[in-house]
Amino acid sequence: MTTVLQQYGLLTQWQLRRQSVYLPLLVVVQGALAVGTVLGFGILMGDLEGDAALYLATGAPTITLIVIGLVMAPQMLAQAKTEGSAQWLMTLPVPRLVFLAADLTVWTLVALPGTVLAVFVGVLRYDISLDVSWWVLPAALLVSLTAAAIGYTVAALLPPSLAMLFTQLVVFVILLFSPVSVPAEQFPSWLASVHAVLPIEPMAQLVRAGLAGSTFTIETGPLLVLVAWCAGCVALAGAALRRRG
Amino acid sequence: MTAVPALDVADVTKTFGGRRPLRANDGVSLTVPEGAVVGLLGHNGAGKTTLVNQVAGLLLPDSGSLRVVGHDVVAHPERSRREISVQAQANVPITGLTPRTAIELVGRIRGGSRRDVARRTDGLIEALDLGQWASTPAHKVSGGVARLTAFAMTAVVPGRLVILDEPTNDVDPVRRRLLWTQIKALADDGAGVLLVTHNVREAEHAVDDLVILDRGRVIAHGTVAELTHPLRSTLQLDVDLPPGRAVAWPPCASETGHDGLRARASVPAARAAEAVAWAQDAVDRGDLDRYSVTPASLEDVYVELVGAAGETSTHAPVPAGHDADPTEGTLR
Repeated sequence: MTTVLQQYGLLTQWQLRRQSVYLPLLVVVQGALAVGTVLGFGILMGDLEGDAALYLATGAPTITLIVIGLVMAPQMLAQAKTEGSAQWLMTLPVPRLVFLAADLTVWTLVALPGTVLAVFVGVLRYDISLDVSWWVLPAALLVSLTAAAIGYTVAALLPPSLAMLFTQLVVFVILLFSPVSVPAEQFPSWLASVHAVLPIEPMAQLVRAGLAGSTFTIETGPLLVLVAWCAGCVALAGAALRRRG
Repeated sequence: MTAVPALDVADVTKTFGGRRPLRANDGVSLTVPEGAVVGLLGHNGAGKTTLVNQVAGLLLPDSGSLRVVGHDVVAHPERSRREISVQAQANVPITGLTPRTAIELVGRIRGGSRRDVARRTDGLIEALDLGQWASTPAHKVSGGVARLTAFAMTAVVPGRLVILDEPTNDVDPVRRRLLWTQIKALADDGAGVLLVTHNVREAEHAVDDLVILDRGRVIAHGTVAELTHPLRSTLQLDVDLPPGRAVAWPPCASETGHDGLRARASVPAARAAEAVAWAQDAVDRGDLDRYSVTPASLEDVYVELVGAAGETSTHAPVPAGHDADPTEGTLR
């Protein structure tokens, strides 16, 4: 009897191979986007030094992780819905969340090289030093899992074209109006308080603390907010995927 | 028989909302015993795929029950799905994979051991004569090969209920025969096979039982012999006309169709000699190009049933020997 874990491995293999033609290109584009975020914000904000530079360089990976989860992983579901394979895949005796896990894994693998590269580019470009903790990897997974659960819920419930529109809008908001690359103090106070209950700021804080632990920390409150969002969104995604018309 | 059927659908109704609600299934009941091939026949839009999606637990019925090997699909879709394998109507895109890897991966996802799946995959590839393309990237194979691959993906580790939605589409005549053999083999190995199709001619030779669906309702069910029984004493006379000529049927023939230069009539079997004599005479005179006399086929029955249902839009005849549908009433 194939276990859920084996099914996850096989489905990941299925999805990876299905993307195999474009895989190298996707890895390169992801890398370019991640590096571009680090360098681009640097240009926008002028000469950066010290903590501000460190803030930016350690925020960029979060943006990549959110984009993977929120845009790339659900894009596979939307694409499968459009090409008609989603419905057939759903007839397989596989627990619904395994689909989410497999897609998320594929995209995490696609984005990992770029994310790591972006951190290195940031270190070189802004002449900063990092203090990386072992738990930065599970932390990164928590971040992209939360984002993927949101993206997947939307992709499961909305028609593919609307779902893509929604996720693109969210990415725009995250890039420009979220305390990921710049501190929350620079936002209007109402926006800062909205971010206190949204998962984006805790995501950034967590990754930042994992990369530069001697400068940044994450408090228990934001961490709980993030964990709650993750649990809630995964449950919601499961329900959305199990929904029958 | 006390054995639990592979599929038991009882009085299933499914309506899709919207400004003009569409009743896609209207009191549908059918049974697929283990070891049998049951054909589900119907036009486009008859409600076949809607029914399949409910059996697979992708759609919820408004009312009625669906049981797969005794498991309630509505209450326990994940449990039921373990007993089902489905070949979808549309080909599942497998770009990036080869037919062999696709078949093997699905087999293992469905719970087969690596060795069993590899052996069964080899067997199916050979039986369907796919060897030439087994290791070709999927984007380079033809539609027919993709269709056969989709079948093999369904049959590699078959459920106790196998649902095949138009499995022969795009498949060449030679491999079609191989495919039919494999479909029969699934049933011989004990699976219940629900074969969804609008290809009446092919189904006639491949199925044990038939269910004919029209506008969401079961309008007839039974074996091919039972369904064609009312027409057993009727022959079909087909004639090809020269351009510009009208057909003057003999008294023994009553016209059932006319389509350009082809016309069709039914003839009582007892008066076959009379009809043949008339037709041969007409050919000799140049009134007909050629003719043929054949026994009434399932297609004739099907056209009669579906045509009747379409014309009267109230209720369709149920062939002799079958219970009338208890929910029979108005269509729509």
